[in-house]
Amino acid sequence: MIADMREALEAVLGPISEPVLLPGGASKEAWAVDAGGERLLVRRAAGGVIHRHTLSLRHEFEVLEVAHEQGVRAPRPVAYIEDLDGREAFVMERLEGETIGRRIVRGPVPEQLPHQMAEELAKIHALPPERLPFLEQATIERLVDELDEIGEPHPAIELGLWWLRENRPPAREPVVVHGDFRIGNLVVDESGLVGVLDWEFAHLDDPARDLSFSLVRAWRFGADDLRLGGIGHVEPYLERYNELAGLDVRPEELDYWELAGNVGWAIGCLTQAQRHLTGQDRSVELAILGRLGAEVEYEICHLLERQGVT
Amino acid sequence: MSERPTPDELAEAIEEFLATEVLPTLGDHRARFRMLVALNALGIVRRELAKLPREDDAEQRELAARIRTGDVPPDTLARVKADVAEKLLVASPHYLDRYE
Repeated sequence: MIADMREALEAVLGPISEPVLLPGGASKEAWAVDAGGERLLVRRAAGGVIHRHTLSLRHEFEVLEVAHEQGVRAPRPVAYIEDLDGREAFVMERLEGETIGRRIVRGPVPEQLPHQMAEELAKIHALPPERLPFLEQATIERLVDELDEIGEPHPAIELGLWWLRENRPPAREPVVVHGDFRIGNLVVDESGLVGVLDWEFAHLDDPARDLSFSLVRAWRFGADDLRLGGIGHVEPYLERYNELAGLDVRPEELDYWELAGNVGWAIGCLTQAQRHLTGQDRSVELAILGRLGAEVEYEICHLLERQGVT
Repeated sequence: MSERPTPDELAEAIEEFLATEVLPTLGDHRARFRMLVALNALGIVRRELAKLPREDDAEQRELAARIRTGDVPPDTLARVKADVAEKLLVASPHYLDRYE
């Protein structure tokens, strides 16, 4: 299989080094190869998708092209390959740096990282949507549909959804959002943010939602006291973002979307477990998420308490 | 409360992982033998689990449906949070320490 893949890659890239499958990546394979003196990464479709609204690799490649061209720190896209040994794939630059969340929060954390995250988000939200006509607009209702598809009773998630329906802030003009902007999907080195990865959840949405994703406790990787992804405080990040984006996103909006992020991830855990339970993609790692989702449900309850719900 | 994966579904996932991903990589005879014994033991656990009655989730279903209609009287959250804490005592007991 590697031989077929190698041949297909060499047809596009010229002579390459032996492809090495990198660990991680539940829904996509990542292969490291070198070609023409460049460090490259091949992102190839694998078993299933995380949810229905995941972009195809072709569309993800197009988002990456526009983002890179507009100056977002992201891997340089190299080539889209419709059929790489039977599955779609694309090739991009392989950035050097740390991506493992737990290691990033352990530090030392580059001082400028929170500001850099705000800067990249402001650039992403300014991407021209007309260049990416396939991006869809997401809604809170989409979360309800995803929960109903699972068919299990989860009162804590229902309470979260109820509160989100009752307390919706005035809608902001939808922009292009990354959709999964958090520690774990960022390449970081000692100088700070090197690049933004994993664009498969890009869509059109309220910018405050994208801004709040990093605040979700699960993405603080154990460094709970630092609300911004376990690496920093929210205030300077929000201030810098508002300054660059010319918006006035309020802290209350972050509270709202942080809760929405938790509701989304609680449902995400159940959806992942379903991939195992339905036989789509058998894996202990996916299975156990069905139980670990209780952690996220507890956080939802905790955040609702802070909003004065009893 | 009835949670997915059920205990048997979890045991099955472990069994599949050990049998298909770990066992083939074991070169050492003793390790292979002990893995086969462990898989046998896991089979016993699964058959024991199969004899247990399935837990009832009717109450949680009713509560979830009520919240969906917007029927959320005071103290609903307190009750839901206590239920989630109970689930965590099984699924991830140390997680609760993070809120102290």
